[in-house]
Amino acid sequence: MPASSKSVSKKVVDLDTALSVVKDGMTLGIGGWIFHGQPMALVRGLIRKGVRDLTLVPSPGSVAPDMLIGAGCVKTTACVFISFEHLGLAPNFRRAAQSGAIKVLEMDGPGIAGGLRAGACDLPYGLIPNLGTDLPKVNPEGYRKARIQEGGRPLLEVPAIKPDVVFLHGQQADEEGNVQYFGAGYFDLLMAQAARHVICSVDRIVPSSTVRHQARLTKIPSAFVDAVVVAPFGGHPGASSGLYEQDEAHLRAYVAASRDQAAFDAYLTDHVRGGEDGYRDRIGAKALAGLTAGSAS
Amino acid sequence: MPVTTNSFAMGEMLAVLLSRDMADGEKAIVGTNSDIQVAACNLARQRQAPHLWWVSGPGGMTNPTEGIVRPAADAENIAVAEAVMDLPQMIDFIDWQVHFFDFAILGALQTDRFGNINTVCVGDHAKPRLRGPGTVGISALCGLSRRFYIMMTRHDRGAFVPKVDFVCGAGFLDGGTSRTDFGLSEGGPRLVVTPLGVFDFEPASKAMRIKSLHDGVTLDEVRDNTGFDLVMPAKIERTANPDDEELFLLRRTVDSTGVLARKFPWPKAH
Repeated sequence: MPASSKSVSKKVVDLDTALSVVKDGMTLGIGGWIFHGQPMALVRGLIRKGVRDLTLVPSPGSVAPDMLIGAGCVKTTACVFISFEHLGLAPNFRRAAQSGAIKVLEMDGPGIAGGLRAGACDLPYGLIPNLGTDLPKVNPEGYRKARIQEGGRPLLEVPAIKPDVVFLHGQQADEEGNVQYFGAGYFDLLMAQAARHVICSVDRIVPSSTVRHQARLTKIPSAFVDAVVVAPFGGHPGASSGLYEQDEAHLRAYVAASRDQAAFDAYLTDHVRGGEDGYRDRIGAKALAGLTAGSAS
Repeated sequence: MPVTTNSFAMGEMLAVLLSRDMADGEKAIVGTNSDIQVAACNLARQRQAPHLWWVSGPGGMTNPTEGIVRPAADAENIAVAEAVMDLPQMIDFIDWQVHFFDFAILGALQTDRFGNINTVCVGDHAKPRLRGPGTVGISALCGLSRRFYIMMTRHDRGAFVPKVDFVCGAGFLDGGTSRTDFGLSEGGPRLVVTPLGVFDFEPASKAMRIKSLHDGVTLDEVRDNTGFDLVMPAKIERTANPDDEELFLLRRTVDSTGVLARKFPWPKAH
């Protein structure tokens, strides 16, 4: 029904509807980069939903994979880089990895890049240079010696990465699902190309005319997007490029609350279990306004 | 520890030492949490290397320059950059191409006698005593760039170990010709800069060697804080402190808000 299909957006859906596709045991890709573009509203929603036994494939990240691990949603995680940078090591990831509570698939930049590219191209594996690291020793499934021509550089095969679902966070989208980024896109588009299902949270919905006005900002065109969730401050406590900075005070409190499982469970009860409206209330309008880009000292 | 005159911070000294070794027209890459690296590259562009080209690894901004040391991935760099590239394109020359970059500057949890780097774990990988952040692009930058620098903000036996617990960035592997025997291109670590001194690698054995000690640092102090025997040069130099011109340019044109002094003070004496 072409006449009516334009009038109602099918892609912009509420959080729970978007997350209904995520099932126990799935492989979940996560976009962004360290504290940038962490799809936290989607992560908090997934924790409320209580999904278990996920395999994570995070881009180099911080609080998104760390919170899912701390909430007990994760069985296995790929680790390209999971860090709280100047705030230290990712606390829940660290505890779970050191105790053996989760399995860590050690990866590197070439491994995730080659794997996602193979996934996006429907190839069985990617070819990457063998760089002399210990990665093949601890992740033999993820790094297999490739046949090479005599005298050629040593190469490894990395299996295609095809996440069941990926979570991304952009700044704004239109109702068609064109997602715009005010900063870098990192691996987000490549993840979207490789994934079977793509869910993007955005801080706001804007008219199509706004998107068309600066089409270069559209990093994830609608053809690559299955669902858009409107989530103001949906990247908090991480940063959303051009809109708000990472919340250093909250991240420090998060690290402190991650000192043991009981303390972290209390954090989840206080901050996650009450829904996104409750979360923003908890953080407070004044604190959130203080993070607006440009106001930080 | 060095005789800290309070006239410059450790972060400023490391940035100056690294910047001195950069040449005009070279190409470099800077990672996410890299204030000292950003400052070193922009200082070199103010001095001997005005055409040094550097790119933010994750963010794709090239030569962002505005006199403030910002996290390299931040969107604010876009407005002061010459170009902005997308990561899925950049991976071709970051993760595959040989010798695209002249250099990268890398930190580590551990480094060893042959300049291998570990940011993955301390102890056995299956049950680590310390779970680190992971490898990200370190494997590729150590393996593919023409040279790299190891920048350590701490110098002790926990960080300078005989053999790293996990090789995530190949230095000279087992020393000698083992790096190129493995099939890696020529390259490897050129200098190691620390709060105590500057170190290079003996050309034949590829073992770490003392190059210069900072003001007030003794040989015993370096030996006590290094978990392997360092090669001794014929003569140990004294590191030249940052001079007035370097500090003036660093503070006026590169790091005008004093990020390095705030974030990287000298470590407390033992």
